[in-house]
Amino acid sequence: MQFEIVAKCHTTRARVSRMKLAHGVTMLPTFMPVATQAAIKGLTAQQVEALGINLILNNTYHLNLRPGMNILKEIGGAHRFQNWRHNLLTDSGGFQLVSLSKFTKITEEGALFSSPFDGEPTMLTPEESMSIQHTIGADIIMQLDDVVSSLTVGPRVEEAMWRTIRWLDRCIETHDKSGKKDVQNLFAIVQGGLDPELRDKCLDEMIARRDRVAGYAIGGLSGGEEKDVFWRIIKQCAAKLPEDRPRYSMGIGFAEDLLVCVALGVDMADCVFPTRTARFGVALTFQGPMNLRLGKHAADFRPIDESCPCPTCTDKMSRAILHHTITLETAAAHAITQHNLVFQARLMGGARDAIVNGTFPDYLKTFFKNYFGEAGYPEWCVNALKSVGVDLLEGNPGARVQAGAGAKWERVE
Amino acid sequence: MSTSALAFSLLPSDIAQFSPRLGSLSLRRRDSSTSSVIEIKTPNFTTSTSRGVIPHLSRDHVRSIKSIRWTGVPFESFLDRVPPVPVLQTGSAPLHTFLGYDRGQHILAMSVRDPFDGRDMPANGKDHISALCIRGVRKVTPSSWKSYFYSCKPDVVVALSDVPYTQAPQSQKRLQKSIERSTVWLTHLLSKSDAPAAASSPEAPSGRPNVLVNLVGGTDERARAAFSENLVEILQGKEQEQISPLRTLDEGVTGYQFELLPLRATLRAEYGQVSQEQDSTSEAGQLSALMRASLHSLPSNKLRITYGSQTPHEILRFIRDVGVDLFDIDWAQRAASIGVTLDFRFPVPKTSVQYSVCVQPKTRGVGKADIGHNLFNFDYAHDHSRLASTFLDGEAFLATQNQNSDKLPCCHCGACTPQPFASTLLHDQVTEVREHPTSPIPPYTRSYVHHLLHTHEMSSHTLLVMHNIAVMDAFFSGIREVLQKSHSEPDLFATEVDRFLSTYAEPETLFAEAEKDWAKVESERGKGRLAREKQNQGGGEVEEG
Ligand SMILES: [Zn+2]
Ligand SMILES: [Zn+2]
Repeated sequence: MQFEIVAKCHTTRARVSRMKLAHGVTMLPTFMPVATQAAIKGLTAQQVEALGINLILNNTYHLNLRPGMNILKEIGGAHRFQNWRHNLLTDSGGFQLVSLSKFTKITEEGALFSSPFDGEPTMLTPEESMSIQHTIGADIIMQLDDVVSSLTVGPRVEEAMWRTIRWLDRCIETHDKSGKKDVQNLFAIVQGGLDPELRDKCLDEMIARRDRVAGYAIGGLSGGEEKDVFWRIIKQCAAKLPEDRPRYSMGIGFAEDLLVCVALGVDMADCVFPTRTARFGVALTFQGPMNLRLGKHAADFRPIDESCPCPTCTDKMSRAILHHTITLETAAAHAITQHNLVFQARLMGGARDAIVNGTFPDYLKTFFKNYFGEAGYPEWCVNALKSVGVDLLEGNPGARVQAGAGAKWERVE
Repeated sequence: MSTSALAFSLLPSDIAQFSPRLGSLSLRRRDSSTSSVIEIKTPNFTTSTSRGVIPHLSRDHVRSIKSIRWTGVPFESFLDRVPPVPVLQTGSAPLHTFLGYDRGQHILAMSVRDPFDGRDMPANGKDHISALCIRGVRKVTPSSWKSYFYSCKPDVVVALSDVPYTQAPQSQKRLQKSIERSTVWLTHLLSKSDAPAAASSPEAPSGRPNVLVNLVGGTDERARAAFSENLVEILQGKEQEQISPLRTLDEGVTGYQFELLPLRATLRAEYGQVSQEQDSTSEAGQLSALMRASLHSLPSNKLRITYGSQTPHEILRFIRDVGVDLFDIDWAQRAASIGVTLDFRFPVPKTSVQYSVCVQPKTRGVGKADIGHNLFNFDYAHDHSRLASTFLDGEAFLATQNQNSDKLPCCHCGACTPQPFASTLLHDQVTEVREHPTSPIPPYTRSYVHHLLHTHEMSSHTLLVMHNIAVMDAFFSGIREVLQKSHSEPDLFATEVDRFLSTYAEPETLFAEAEKDWAKVESERGKGRLAREKQNQGGGEVEEG
């Protein structure tokens, strides 16, 4: 990997960088769409590429079950399997193991679980995770980490943190010997729950291994925690991680979360949210999410967003026809998925330009004003951005602030 | 003012009443901005839509598939709102605009009912037919149908007709009523009543819309003949005034269509369920006879369309025995929904052709080959070859460019010959524009589609629909080539049809197997999802699955 910082925000910790991998250059910060099963919902790889996306994610846990490693070996990896010519990242499989399998037991050796196919006890070790990811062949691969829910408290959190460090060492050993180091890049995952001291210890240990890892992920923040705690952990980790390594915040996809993370120094994020929400008829816009299942869109002939360059909006596909087809025709989900992925890409592309042009603080203000102006700014975003020198409320004394977390979701009646 | 005139012409040598024929259908558009012609060589196919869209294809895909031209749009799904939403769309081509079809590429034919929905329906009335939308049954009157047509401005409108979708068989009296109503409703459509001022109408230069009529009369040949006679009867007095300057209803009709689904239902009720290949041959024979009964007294130079043929075998028979010009390929589109990739050609490829490391379809007990592969089958999990053995993929085709011996044709579909889109979006000013790699993209493989089917990924259907449409496109161009050659070799088409029928098995078993596998994956997924939802209660992790 070649990693080079192109520009830095003069106010916040945001930066623009150029990450060159075996399948091309990806400019950071970026959002990575999730192709869990080696497909972005309903689209072909050529369609995804045309959206201006050049880094996607596959899930190791899922691909290991289906199609399985023999098939991926035969065909020569996941790039060829899904006909994707650009960059690819795989997770370690550990996270899904814990979230999808009830009977997973963590031992020092690895994660013991019962196979979803035959119920046989199966062990996913750090070495095995590396070997699976080597077969998949993604440009960025993740260490196996000991995942605990962000709501867990007590000694289990510290135990998991130390184990994650030991497993990192085993992953590094395996990866170093694999002969794949020049084409696949291993990322470490910072753990330590919501405890700043544990996070700090973990950061120290992982930074000590910086010469043997290509980048860092911030793990253990799965959405259940308080947003106020979330951003402080992100900030702490991003601030301490080495400047010359990409920083990846796992499982982040809401627009406001993405921009806050970018302002705190995060370079990459992934989430199923934009593709998942598309299938339920929610289109993302800079004025907030739009629920196309609502009756009010039934005879609205405007596109989702007049200014959007996505295939759906440039074709002037109306809210009315999307309302008529969503949840009943897969083609409607494809159309909104294309739009939502372009929304995410525009959000991040706009951030990159603003950072380069020295206007990122304004970019943040404009985004939040349009996105939350009416409903009120989420308090945690205001606080998080204030901590890096951007006051969203500046010059806007009448602005409302809401204590809750989220966007103004339109509900289906 | 915009005009679109649909013209149909046959080769002069092909005007015999009931024989295979080569024709050409052209729609000429003249309006303020464009002057274009869409031409369709016949025999050919039409694509069918569900809720106005071609299932599984996004609009960029629809545009990129050049063989998608004539597209049937059943209107009934829009009846859940009053007025139906497409009626409110503005512009010179509201239906095209609303549904995203390109006026330069797509001919839209609007009908009330979905010709592939054979569910029992409440009886039609004297002044309405029963149509189905998501909120239930709706009545459509001849006047409302005419107003929908004039508001939506499709290129072609199918006249309202009284086809009973009630328990077969129908009584003599019911058939008579069907004929009378259908005649009256066609008269109304062709008349000036309820028609808007000419300036805003999508009329042909002749001053009339392009109208297709369902030839009704059920399974009674005399009733069918009677309806056709109504069409060509020279009208007098008040009746003639209504449609003036036309003298007969038929003069106002662009083409004839046959909806086979209700006919099949009636035939099966009358003769018992058919399932054997022998019987379906005879069902095709019976259907052909019924179509001929309708066409007998009608001019032979008009367009003939069938809806509801179920196999390529039937299509060949209907071309050979009736001289049908346009066919839906709904069965091939549906095959994509149940995981079947089509793999056959007409004329049947010579046996000398190499299939180059690509497994051919299964041979059934009778020694005939399947017309495709059920990709749900675990045999395909490790099959990393292209979708069809009878076509090369784009990459392999290029690699054998200089080879002039018997070479397979190329399947140019988005699955076998993936093409990068002409332009790639850029979302900032710092990303370097990447040149597209010049090497061809290899085909999507059977193993990949197998994987997508078993993981319930929608992309499987997208790839298969693109491929199946391409196979059908090649099928029809093969038919036209053979018909062309038949002019100098008179028995060629019949010989090739026989060869096809003796080479390929009817797909009933293949489709049944695929449907069973599809249903199994659906139900397993249902169970898995329930289990996951249970587990996730309490605001746990959201996982893509
Ligand atoms: Zn858009
Ligand atoms: Zn193909």
